[in-house]
Amino acid sequence: MDNSQTPARETTKPFFGGFRTFLRRTIFFGGVLIVNIAASLWLTDLFWLMGFQKAHYPLLVIFIILNGLLTLGSFHAIFGAIDMLLGRKQSVRISKLADGKTGPLEKRHAVVMPVYNEDSVKTCARIEAIYRSIEATGNLDSFDFFILSDTRDLNLWVMEETSWTNLCRQLGGFGRIYYRRRKTNENRKAGNIGDFVRTWGGNYESMLVLDADSLMDGADIVKMTRIMEAYPRLGILQTPPKLIRGSSVFTRLQQFAMRLYGPLFIRGLNFWQLMGGSYWGHNALIRVQPFSEFCELPALPGREPFGGRILSHDFVEAALMVSQGWEVWLAWDIEGTFEEAPPTLVDHLIRDRRWCQGNLQHMWLIFARKLPFSVRMHLFMGIMAYLGSPVWFLFLALGTWVAWDRARSDLSQLPFENYAARWFDINGVQQSLILTGVIFGLLFLPKILAVIGGLLTPSIRRSFGGGFRIIFGAIFETIVSMLLAPCIMVAHTLMVLSIIAGRAVGWGNQNRETDGTSWGDAFRFHAPQTILGIAWTGVAVTIGYTSKNPAGFVSKYAFVLWMTPILLGLLLAAPVSVWTSRTRYGKALLKHKLLATPEEISPPSVMTLADNATAAVDSALDASVEGRIGVVAAVVDPYVNGVHVSLLEHSELTAADEALAERCLSEGPGGLSKNELSELLYLAPAMLMMHRAVWLRSTEGIHSVWTQAVESYRRRLDHTPHAESN
Amino acid sequence: MGLPHHSLNTLRPLSEGELNEWEEAYAAVEAYLQALRLRNRLLVAELVRGILWRASARRVNEPDKPARFLAMEEALSEVAEWTQDVLDVPLENRRLAARGRLALLLAGMPGHWQGVFLTPAPWPPEFVDAMKKSYLAAGPRFAELTMVPKPLEFNAIGSGAAQWWETMDRRPIMGFMFTGVIISLIAVIVWYFLLD
Repeated sequence: MDNSQTPARETTKPFFGGFRTFLRRTIFFGGVLIVNIAASLWLTDLFWLMGFQKAHYPLLVIFIILNGLLTLGSFHAIFGAIDMLLGRKQSVRISKLADGKTGPLEKRHAVVMPVYNEDSVKTCARIEAIYRSIEATGNLDSFDFFILSDTRDLNLWVMEETSWTNLCRQLGGFGRIYYRRRKTNENRKAGNIGDFVRTWGGNYESMLVLDADSLMDGADIVKMTRIMEAYPRLGILQTPPKLIRGSSVFTRLQQFAMRLYGPLFIRGLNFWQLMGGSYWGHNALIRVQPFSEFCELPALPGREPFGGRILSHDFVEAALMVSQGWEVWLAWDIEGTFEEAPPTLVDHLIRDRRWCQGNLQHMWLIFARKLPFSVRMHLFMGIMAYLGSPVWFLFLALGTWVAWDRARSDLSQLPFENYAARWFDINGVQQSLILTGVIFGLLFLPKILAVIGGLLTPSIRRSFGGGFRIIFGAIFETIVSMLLAPCIMVAHTLMVLSIIAGRAVGWGNQNRETDGTSWGDAFRFHAPQTILGIAWTGVAVTIGYTSKNPAGFVSKYAFVLWMTPILLGLLLAAPVSVWTSRTRYGKALLKHKLLATPEEISPPSVMTLADNATAAVDSALDASVEGRIGVVAAVVDPYVNGVHVSLLEHSELTAADEALAERCLSEGPGGLSKNELSELLYLAPAMLMMHRAVWLRSTEGIHSVWTQAVESYRRRLDHTPHAESN
Repeated sequence: MGLPHHSLNTLRPLSEGELNEWEEAYAAVEAYLQALRLRNRLLVAELVRGILWRASARRVNEPDKPARFLAMEEALSEVAEWTQDVLDVPLENRRLAARGRLALLLAGMPGHWQGVFLTPAPWPPEFVDAMKKSYLAAGPRFAELTMVPKPLEFNAIGSGAAQWWETMDRRPIMGFMFTGVIISLIAVIVWYFLLD
């Protein structure tokens, strides 16, 4: 690939002007600043009238941070709503560059799906759906597909090979769909993509980066490539993926919330970030040449967890791209972009542990030179997504301390006369209620705006199954979210503390019941929340008990009542985690179209294609049959062995390799260490030698795993051949 | 290749032990053909009989080798040689034999061409064509790009922090002291704001 893109980029006019960008950002962040200052002054006034304690100072500082974050979130929704009201024509939409464009694509593009220990049948089903969907547009010739495996499980490796072969056989995809497995998974997903770019990137103008659970509509992919071809300044085009296929209550809540409230935030985000957008790691189109030139990740100072290799690569790659003058846009109007979510709260928190460490590493980049404002803002928001939790925790803990201290010293919890009383003719109680109302307003405003929008727009209302279902879903989601929030806050706080301590959080294995998280696992995972909840409730009740000022039950126990949402969330962490993980309740909700999303009520064509995709499954080539799974199939089955060996590089059989193969024959795959077995699987002559040996030798001298696998092919007289017929 | 009319007289007379040995050989060859997804029992029986006939003929000259070994060796070499003839390329090493075996699958032998399997030439041109077109492409042509990480350039605060952080990494005592100072600072803050 030549480097002719840079001159083309420099001679192309920016999609959105610099002054207008400045104006939009000033209005947006200026608004956030004004609201935050006003609310903070209001609280300061209250504190002053209550009689400033020293603890009020840190409380005030923390309030400024938290209220700033809250206002920032709400303003995304407010500006998103304004952007929607102004209409599609008024909003900034990079996708309009592809409007009206038809004809064949001019350049070649790659669709890359990195996989790591995934279910290969499901992965290939998604590739099949995307493949068929692009094929339907008539642009298939411009695309190559890559399954980039970093899989460490050796059985899954073999299954990936057979699934891919079947997929190619059924779709006629040889020479268009490729499978590559890395021997070492250095630098995780970023390294996997980097390896692709280094090896084959020069063949392609852009690459569509997916996750293993991603699904995208072919017409939208073609549209994105048209934008990329039309606009030389574009480095990354990110789409906002929608969550799909949620079966547990937890994922159904998430996908409903993201589907209903998400568009507001996305439009609000696009309002200010414009060409300085971010990359979320998947469902995005990336121009390969600048990616290779600028996006190899630098090492951070020191060791992990704060230093060393960058764990969350996506934000940094976008930052590097933007800092070099390439534009990163959010294509908010690309509809056919989907992903799946972790099924349970426990799985969600396990994933968050990795993201938390990755995002905290980004603190280094806040102090990097030459980064534009939008990039620093993205990094800051990413960091605060996790650092916000300990700050919230500290705020609540300090609040509890102040209440405890005042109760003990017989000081009033209520303010007296103040500036607000003099200027606005309202007393301290009213003032505190107004401030509380403002805070709650900011907190719930996005949901309220989204619900109003949904109810007033017939197409949205119908797509969610009607107005009642929108209202029910929003209320239900709000209640469960309130219960989940304290649990997540404590989990994030512990994650941050463990990272600061330089330790990884010991989550252990996920032992699940067939229907979500088991009670045992839930109590083990959420033990800190439960214990903290009990202790905190005790303290809160004691504060009310010792308080001598107010009369009446409600006044006496006002603090406990005030803290109820937090305390309930902590006390019920385990039951709520278990209940929301159950798919049977999720299915019951779906049956009545409750928490339903438009994609469930009217599935898009690419989802139907993925649901019906079976090309990767074929009994003629199968490495998942009981008794001969994965590695065993690669040795015993003539076709699986043929596929596996054909994908290996040529090598000679040394005496040491032969000895290793003999050990595997006599002791079975379980007799070898994972490294030895992995090494053996890379040796084509050894795999062939073993294939011959298991068939030639009688039962003596070889492990029963092989003889049983050989025996499993013998058809019994009562066996019906239909299962094996194609 | 042995055909159904070929007599198995070379095997006879068979003792009880020899009968068991040939039974095992039969089972192994039959299982292998079934592993190749040959579904038709008549076809399988016919092919097994032929393979065993050749193995029995070899047994006369190689009496020390187990019947299963001879039969399976015949089966494997017959499949390899036959695919070589159909593909019309020499299978120079055993790896290519695996590719020939794979070509059977990719050409759809288990589905459409069972009756052709291990039969002498001429073969249906469509089958030969499908076998020759069957291949596995490991990847497109290489088109390499370089990706070289560029070191992060920090501002004054970042540079200072990076230096300090790396110093703590190199000298654990500094890290220990730093942690001590931070904990002390937190203790002072807590004492000042909460307890004083």
